[in-house]
Amino acid sequence: MIFKKSLLAAAISALVLTACGGSSSDAETPTVVETNFSFEATEMITNLTNDVIVAGYQNLNDGAADFLLATQNLVNTPTDKNLALAQQAWKDVRVPWEQGESHIFGPVDALSIDPHLDTWPLNTSDLEALLASQASFSADELKTFNDDVQGFHTMEFLLFGDGVEDNEKSIDEMTTLESEYLSAAAEVFKTYTQSLLDAWIVANDPNDANSPAYKDLLLTTNNDIYASQLGVVEELINGMIGIIDEVGNGKIAEPFGSNIDNIDTSKVESQYSWNSLADFTDNIRGVQNVYRGEFSGQADKAGIIDFVNAADADLATRVDTEIMDAIAAIEAIAGESDLPFRQAINDADARVRIQAAIDALSTLQTSFENDVLTKLQDWQQ
Amino acid sequence: MIMFGCNSSSSDDTTKEAEQPQAAYTFVSLLGGDATAIDASDSGHGFSTPMPNLTSEELDKHLTGDTHFETAFTTAPNNEHPDLDGLGPVFNNQDCNSCHQRDGRPSTITLAAGESRVLLGSNAGIFLRMSIDDGECLAPSVENNYCKNVGVDGFGTQLFHRGVLKARDDWQENPFIGQANVYLSYEYSTVTYADGDTVTLKKPVFSIEKPYDVDVENSLNSAILQANVRYSPRNGMPIFGLGLLELISEADILALADENDSNNDGITGRPNWVFDPVKAKNNDPIPVSLGRFGWKASTPSVRVQSLEALRGDMGITNPLFPEESVLNTPLHDSYLARTGFVDTGTDEQGNTEATQQFSDEVVFYAETLAVPARRNINDESVIAGAQLFTQVNCTGCHQPDFITSTGKFFVGGLAAPEVLKGQHIYPFTDMLLHDLGEGLADNRRDFTANGQEWKTRPLWGIGLTKTVNPAAGFLHDGRAGDVEEAILWHGGEAEQSKNAYMALAEADRQSLIDFVMSL
Repeated sequence: MIFKKSLLAAAISALVLTACGGSSSDAETPTVVETNFSFEATEMITNLTNDVIVAGYQNLNDGAADFLLATQNLVNTPTDKNLALAQQAWKDVRVPWEQGESHIFGPVDALSIDPHLDTWPLNTSDLEALLASQASFSADELKTFNDDVQGFHTMEFLLFGDGVEDNEKSIDEMTTLESEYLSAAAEVFKTYTQSLLDAWIVANDPNDANSPAYKDLLLTTNNDIYASQLGVVEELINGMIGIIDEVGNGKIAEPFGSNIDNIDTSKVESQYSWNSLADFTDNIRGVQNVYRGEFSGQADKAGIIDFVNAADADLATRVDTEIMDAIAAIEAIAGESDLPFRQAINDADARVRIQAAIDALSTLQTSFENDVLTKLQDWQQ
Repeated sequence: MIMFGCNSSSSDDTTKEAEQPQAAYTFVSLLGGDATAIDASDSGHGFSTPMPNLTSEELDKHLTGDTHFETAFTTAPNNEHPDLDGLGPVFNNQDCNSCHQRDGRPSTITLAAGESRVLLGSNAGIFLRMSIDDGECLAPSVENNYCKNVGVDGFGTQLFHRGVLKARDDWQENPFIGQANVYLSYEYSTVTYADGDTVTLKKPVFSIEKPYDVDVENSLNSAILQANVRYSPRNGMPIFGLGLLELISEADILALADENDSNNDGITGRPNWVFDPVKAKNNDPIPVSLGRFGWKASTPSVRVQSLEALRGDMGITNPLFPEESVLNTPLHDSYLARTGFVDTGTDEQGNTEATQQFSDEVVFYAETLAVPARRNINDESVIAGAQLFTQVNCTGCHQPDFITSTGKFFVGGLAAPEVLKGQHIYPFTDMLLHDLGEGLADNRRDFTANGQEWKTRPLWGIGLTKTVNPAAGFLHDGRAGDVEEAILWHGGEAEQSKNAYMALAEADRQSLIDFVMSL
C-alpha cells in the first residue's frame, strides 16, 4: 500500500516538474530583434488618393476632352495641320492613362473601363469591314460595338496608319468616314473617362447616387472594400508591382523575344504611332508618382517612400534610385538614332539596351516584392 | 512555490476552456495551407497571387497562363495576330478576365434611374445556359447520353448573346449581335426581421429579343422561346484555390453525402455525376466523374471547366473541345459562307484555335492561384461569429476543412502538381449539391442535378470579394449585393439555418457576418 502511494506521488511530481521546467525554459528564450515600426498613414493615403490618383484621372478626362475637340476640328476642317494636332492630342491623353496603370484598381476595372479604353490587339478585320459597309457612325452606335473596335488603339490606327513603314499618315490617306469614326470613338472615349472620374469623386456606382465615391473608401477604411489602412497600402504597393511586371515581362520582353530571330512586332503595343517607349516610360513614371507622392516637378508630398522610410531609410532611397534607373534605361533604348521600339527590337545594338531595361525593371520588381511589400507585416498600426 | 504556480495555471486553463468552447477553425489563418497567399490578402490582388510554394518552372508556367487568361481574342482572320483570332462567331465575352475580374467575380449590372432594363453587352459577366426540359436523369449511362442536357435546336446549351461583326445574316442591321439579345431587369422584395430591420432583395429577370432563327415579327416562333426551354443565368466565379479543390479525395466528399438524410438533420447532400470529356477522349469505357466545379458541380476538373469555357464562352476551339459550339447550326453555316469559310475552328493543318500548350498553361494557371489568408482573426466579433457559424449549422453544408490527397493523383488526365498535395485546407464547402429552395431555383436540370439544387459555394476568400471588385455580387446570378442578402436567399435544406440566423439578435447576426467576411 505504501509503495503504491509513493509511485503515484512520484508520477504526479514528475509531471509537475516537467511542466514547470517547460515554462522556465520559455522564460529564458533570447529576445527577438525588433523589426516593427510605426507610421501614421492617413496623410500619405489622403495625398495619394486626391493628388495622384484622382488628379491623374482628372488629367485623363481633360486630355480626352482636348482630344475629342481635336477630332471634331479634323472632321470639320480636314487638313494635315489638324491631323497632326489630333495625333499629338492622342499622345497627350495617352500620358495620364499610362501613368494611371500604376493604380489600376477600383472603378477602372469594376466598370469595365479598362477594356473599353485600352483593348489590345485591335480587331482590324471588323474595323475595315465596318468602314466598308456603313455610310456614317455615331457615338451611340459605336458604344454598342465590341471593345476591340473602340478605344486608344482603334483611334491610333485611324490616326497614324498601320505603323509598318512609318507613323506619318497624311490627310490624303484619311477618308471622311475614317475621321467620322475617329470622332465618334473619341466621344465614346470621353464618356468613359468622365465615368471613371465620377466614380472616384461622386459615386462609385454611376447608377446608384447613394453609393460612396470610391476615394472615400480609401480615405475612411473599415468598409466592405478596405477593412483597414493596411489594405489600402497593400493595394498601392501591389499596383506598382503589377505594372512594373507588365512592362518588363510583357510589354517589352514579349516582342523582344529570346533572341533577334524570335522577335514579334505584332506584340508591340502602340505600334501604329510608334509611341511604345513613351508609354513604357510613363508606366514607370506612374510608379514614381505613387512612390514619391507627387507628379514629376511638383513640390514634395507624402508617398509610399515615406512609409518605406519609416521602416528602412536605406531601402526607401534605394528603391527611389532604382525607379529612376528603370526610367533612364527605358529612355535609353531609342539610342542616338532615336529608334522606335518596334524597330529597336530588330537592331543588335538596341537589343543590348533593351535587355538593360528589362534587367533594371526586374531589379526594381524584386525590390518591391521582397523588400517593400514584406514591410507590411512589420507595420504596427 | 513551483507547485502552487503550476496548479494555478492549470486551473485557469480549465476555466477558460469551460467558458468558451471554440470551433476548430476559429483561429485558422492559412485557409489554403502552404498554398495560401501572404502580402496580398488585404487588397484587390488577393485572388491573383501564385501559390508561394511553386517551383521556379511552375511559376513560369503559371505566369504564362496568366498572360493567356488576360488575352483578348479577335475576329478571324487577324493576319497580324493569327494566334489570337477565332473569336466567336458568337460568344459571351472576348477574354477570361471579363467574367472573372481580377480572378474574382464579375460586376453586377445595375440599372440607371428611370431605366427598366439593360442590354447585356461587353460589361456583362453573366450569361444564360439553356436546354430542353426532359425531366430527371439520375443514372448516367450510354443509353441516356450520360445525362447530358439536350440543347435547343439551332442554338445548343448556352445562349451566346454577343457576336463578331458579321455573325448574323442580318449583320448590317444588327452588327455585333449574337444568337439573340438578352435584356436584364430586376424584381424587388423585402425581408423583415423580428426586430424590425428590413433588407431589400433583388432578383434578375431576363428577356430575349431578336433571336436569329426568326424574323422580328415572328419572334415567338423562335426555338429558344418555346415553353419547354429552361434557362439558367450563370455568373463568373472566383478562380483561386481550384487546384486544391481538385485534390480533395472523392472518398472524402462522398463520405459527407447523405442522400437519404440518414442523420435526420434536414440536409441531404448529393454528388453530381457528370460526363467527363477527358475520360471520353482517353476512351474510358465509363466517361463519368464526380462533378466538382460550376454552380451545379457540372464539370469534373479544372481542365474541363476552363477549356469548355474557352470554347463555349469565347468560341475558341482547343484540343479538348475542337469543334465550335455552334457547329452545324444555320447561323454558323451562313456565317462561314458569308465570310469565306475562314473561321471553321481549325486551320488547314487541323490545328485548333488554342494550342495544346496554351490550353495546358491556362489550366495550370487556374489550378495554382493561391488562396488568400484570413484577416481580423482576433477580432472579438469575428471570434463570436465563428461559434455562431456552427451553432446555426452553416457547417451542415459549408464543411470547414479537408486534407488534400497525397501520392499519385491525376486531375483532368494529368499528374497533379506536388504543391497541392497533403494540404490542410479550409474551403468551407462540402462540394455537394443541396436543394436551396424555390427562391433560388432555376428549374433546369444539369446532368443529375435538379432545378432546385446548387453546389455549396466555397467561402474562402469571400471577405475580399468587394476589395477585388467593388461591384461584384453573390449567388449564381449576382443577385445578392452582400453576404447578408445571400444568407436571406438560402431556402430548402438551408431554411433552418437561415431561420436560426434571422432569429439571432442584431449584434449576433453582425458577428456571424463578420466571421464570414474574415474568410
